[in-house]
Amino acid sequence: MNIGVLAKASIDPNMVRADSEGNILLESMPLALSEYDKNALEEALRIKQEKGGKVIVLSALTWGPTSKRLREAEQVMREALAMGADEAHLIVDEALIPGNPLTTSLALKALVEKIGGIDLILTGEGSMDTVSYQVASRMAALLGYPVATFARRLELLDGRVRVTRDLETRLETVELPLPAVISVTGEINKPRLPTLLQIRRAMSKPLNKYTLADLGATVEQAHVEVKEMKLLRVARKQVLIEESDPEKAADKLIEILENEGILK
Amino acid sequence: MIDVRALVLAYPSQSALDAIGFAQRASEQVSITVLTTRGGEKYSYRGVEKVIVANVEDPTPDQLAGLLEKTFSSYDIVVAPSSKDSTDALARLSALKNLPMFTEVNHLEPSGDGLVVTRPVIAGRAYVTYSTRVPAAFTVAKKAFPPQSADHEPDVEEIEAPPASMVRVGVEEKKFSGVNIEDAEVVIGVGRGFRKKEDIAMAEELARLLNGAVGCSRPITADLGWLPEDAWIGISGKRIRPKLYMPIGISGAPQHMSAAIDSKLIIAVNKDKSAPVFQYSDYGFVIDLYKLLPALIEKLKQRKRT
Repeated sequence: MNIGVLAKASIDPNMVRADSEGNILLESMPLALSEYDKNALEEALRIKQEKGGKVIVLSALTWGPTSKRLREAEQVMREALAMGADEAHLIVDEALIPGNPLTTSLALKALVEKIGGIDLILTGEGSMDTVSYQVASRMAALLGYPVATFARRLELLDGRVRVTRDLETRLETVELPLPAVISVTGEINKPRLPTLLQIRRAMSKPLNKYTLADLGATVEQAHVEVKEMKLLRVARKQVLIEESDPEKAADKLIEILENEGILK
Repeated sequence: MIDVRALVLAYPSQSALDAIGFAQRASEQVSITVLTTRGGEKYSYRGVEKVIVANVEDPTPDQLAGLLEKTFSSYDIVVAPSSKDSTDALARLSALKNLPMFTEVNHLEPSGDGLVVTRPVIAGRAYVTYSTRVPAAFTVAKKAFPPQSADHEPDVEEIEAPPASMVRVGVEEKKFSGVNIEDAEVVIGVGRGFRKKEDIAMAEELARLLNGAVGCSRPITADLGWLPEDAWIGISGKRIRPKLYMPIGISGAPQHMSAAIDSKLIIAVNKDKSAPVFQYSDYGFVIDLYKLLPALIEKLKQRKRT
């Protein structure tokens, strides 16, 4: 049972940088392993403990410039390896930057086929930077596999997978034959933190890099252009009140509510 | 751009109007076809050319994708509400037809032979504006594109749905509070600073005293189930725009705070001075909620009595 985990080196939303006009300064924002992809990896590791096999991390660099971002993406792969993945495969190609779900999925599909023998593909419900919720469904369609999105429970049966999908108005349990693609929510598990020993060991695990040519793949221009990326900004007063006496703090809060017209 | 042919996936049917509103704005001259499922025809899709009704009541996403594939041939844009199943179906279609796709679009302008669209990124803290060619696929943000009224009555056509390949073995309906935090003027936000479920009664009492409603962060509903999911404030939950938002015991993850960005006034309560929530707030009270709330509730009650 080999499990592929699609893991993205995402812009860290906790480290937003913008200039005085609110333009996002992408190049000065670091990349990190996308939040829900950690849940996907944790789920893969859990299954591996039960069923054996390999956990294979698959990724494509989608942020440039590659000269700067390559090292960061490699670090993200090392983090995934430190959590317990067996090997990592990273596509680095200018044609995929800046990324969009169309080109990223085509590249990752080629990678899955190149590696071969992957029975189950897991990924997060969406990435923490672009939050498009598309890659699992696109990958499944390209590979001709069934897909279940927003899984908050996952159980392997004989040649099948049983998944509980967390939808807007209901929890829906479905069964799919393998191979399949599943996207998981943040509630499915608590991702482990790697130990120091695991972090050191991760340095000697395989991390392979590919260009699209290595995969025999080409991606068509998506004809999508980013015109601008801006910070959503609302001026807040950011007044901090450090009053430790609850009575006085409550009085102060009521005064604010009165001044702001909430209490009349 | 002239003569846009739009295919609108009306699933769930009751949220399709925003998608129709999007399509109406795609061009001066747009012809809209609505693809819906059984029962969907009872919603009024006035002003559209055609309504295609598939003979399936509760479609699986693969059936929706199959229906789109069957119908999509001569359309320039495909639009759907941003529900989880329609996003899934649209993404499958987009992969098969090599279409760019944009989820949760909240702004649109026609431009030359393409479209310019805006959507949130980086956990909702920023927005990005793209120009794209057509054909392309879009899911639309709630309430972003109110449809223009029209009186044209559509033609109705029936279509056979493909068999479902995903097998449903169980369905559990979620319970909701029915409280509408999206329209509330005051919202009290409950976070992990609340140590047990019973303590949420304090937030509820505060909400009562301020004529407000109680909302919460993701773990309170999704992990712990202490509040129903319609109380969840977040980019994957509800977006709020009250006069006052009071996040209490909430650390202030970007995914949560972005969904409250339209609040007029934000007053946070958190005992951790370094909590990110204070960066998003007008006033930040650095104090244990278990100390502040009882005092605050008592004083508000007294104030009501006098």
